[in-house]
Amino acid sequence: MNLVLDVHNLTKQFAHILAVDNISFTVNKGEIFGFLGPNGAGKTTTIRMLTGQTKPTSGTVKVAKYDVVRESIKAKERVGVVPEVSNIYDEMSAWDNLIFAAQLYRVAKNEREKRAKDLLELFGLHERRADRAGNFSKGMKRRLTIAAALIHKPDILFLDEPTSGLDVQSSRMIRNLTKDLNKNGVTVFLTTHYIEEADQLCQRVAMINQGKMVAVDNPEKLKASVEKHQIIEVSFDQTQNMERKLASLKYVSKAVQVGDKFRLHVRNTSEAVPLLVDFARENGLKIISINTLNPSLEDAFVEMTGLSAEVMATEKEQGKKVASLG
Amino acid sequence: MVRAWADSLIKAFYIAKKDAKVYYFKAPNFTYGLLIPVSLYLAFSMAGEISSKLIVAGLTSLVMLFGTTSIEAVAVVLEKQTGTFERLLAAPLSLFTIVLGKTLAGFFFGLILAAVVLFPLAVVSGTIVMNPLLAVIAIAFTSMAFSALGIVASAYAKWVPEAQMLSNFLRFPMVFLSGTFVALETFPSQLQIVARFLPLTYSVEALRSSIAELGVTYTYILDIVALTLFTIVLLALSTKILEKRIA
Repeated sequence: MNLVLDVHNLTKQFAHILAVDNISFTVNKGEIFGFLGPNGAGKTTTIRMLTGQTKPTSGTVKVAKYDVVRESIKAKERVGVVPEVSNIYDEMSAWDNLIFAAQLYRVAKNEREKRAKDLLELFGLHERRADRAGNFSKGMKRRLTIAAALIHKPDILFLDEPTSGLDVQSSRMIRNLTKDLNKNGVTVFLTTHYIEEADQLCQRVAMINQGKMVAVDNPEKLKASVEKHQIIEVSFDQTQNMERKLASLKYVSKAVQVGDKFRLHVRNTSEAVPLLVDFARENGLKIISINTLNPSLEDAFVEMTGLSAEVMATEKEQGKKVASLG
Repeated sequence: MVRAWADSLIKAFYIAKKDAKVYYFKAPNFTYGLLIPVSLYLAFSMAGEISSKLIVAGLTSLVMLFGTTSIEAVAVVLEKQTGTFERLLAAPLSLFTIVLGKTLAGFFFGLILAAVVLFPLAVVSGTIVMNPLLAVIAIAFTSMAFSALGIVASAYAKWVPEAQMLSNFLRFPMVFLSGTFVALETFPSQLQIVARFLPLTYSVEALRSSIAELGVTYTYILDIVALTLFTIVLLALSTKILEKRIA
């Protein structure tokens, strides 16, 4: 297997805080690798170490066989980084942003202009190439940031929360672009708090919590590991004060309200469904819908980290609000 | 080794070019670079008549000091705040290359400001610059040292007001302690020693020397060596501070 990223016993200690605790994993050439974890889990610190922006306390990172600490320049030449907040120069045009990025990677003059043109066309920005990037929408800035990260044809592209804060259309566009880039041979390291997004895009995912690696595998295997719990999703004509009552039913280990539905983790579906019907009758409820579900990647995440995906998304949004106020 | 240095220099030049486009060559920066030094000159001139040679050398140095450090002091902090500094950190550049690139932008800006001030001022005041080449060399070394000074403040500060406060803390005492408009020899001996630790002293002295003398004097050589040492130490210090800040 052709490794693009090889991480061994990576650790980062800040004063009294152990941000990343001895994690190891590899990323293969041509795959989309997801990196999941709640806020403060150590994702950003890990990415900063993987891309040579900060030095690890211990452990090694190799990008395309180059040690990120000892052969920093060579390793960085093989990496493209798209941080969570688009970091293009607002005062410069889209074209100048790409040319500047190419200059930093010493792309030859004729080649840099050709690549800038191709990328602007690919990302639907060619018509606006002479406009100041500061006048672009959030989605356009995101696309331009990705284009700038691709100008030197990196071996691996780091995408940190690429769709965070974008509208549905822009998010879908970025997801499709990510898929297309991957089809064209670009290896992608994707950080996201949208677990569904990771499930759709990634061939393998790693889960990190409190600086420790919880799991690394492909999404289907991770889902299979929690299949001991089956899930029934049920909705009634009423939703008030039901969670506790449902959780106390026989065979039900956990009940969670999701919108107007209840998601029940059950030990035996065939025994639990008749009990649910009886429960509805006894409480004068009408069942609107009832479905059995396979465990999702989100369920695997909840099982392995002990955190709900909703908590993770909420934390992230709160973090952003605090950052924007600051 | 030579190739790596050449590569580093070229990348630093690209950063300087980008900084010039993004931060420097805007009308308010030119006016700010001129306004404070002229105000300071007027304040000094009220205390007594200043000879034209002192005015030309003093004002040119001050314009470079305020012009370069004002923007240098925020060039890194602004990038940290907008997130664009991460772009530089992720690129195949050493921290020293980033610092050098940022300093070069201020260096070129300082050269232009000096040209804007020195030659018209010399004509208006009727001052003859005895050796223009030595004046240009003094200006170049001064501009580099002052830009490096601004970068120290920028590397250290976490936000723009802190950078501005720090650069003022470094600049204003220098104006009064470096013999800008007053001959250093008239200072008490303790203050003369303090003045020797300030780059502005050497800048003013070198410029005065190039205005007054046709040939290269011993003092002039010492001034250029001192400005070079200041540049090297300040660049190394900025790199070290940034290294600690991003650790």
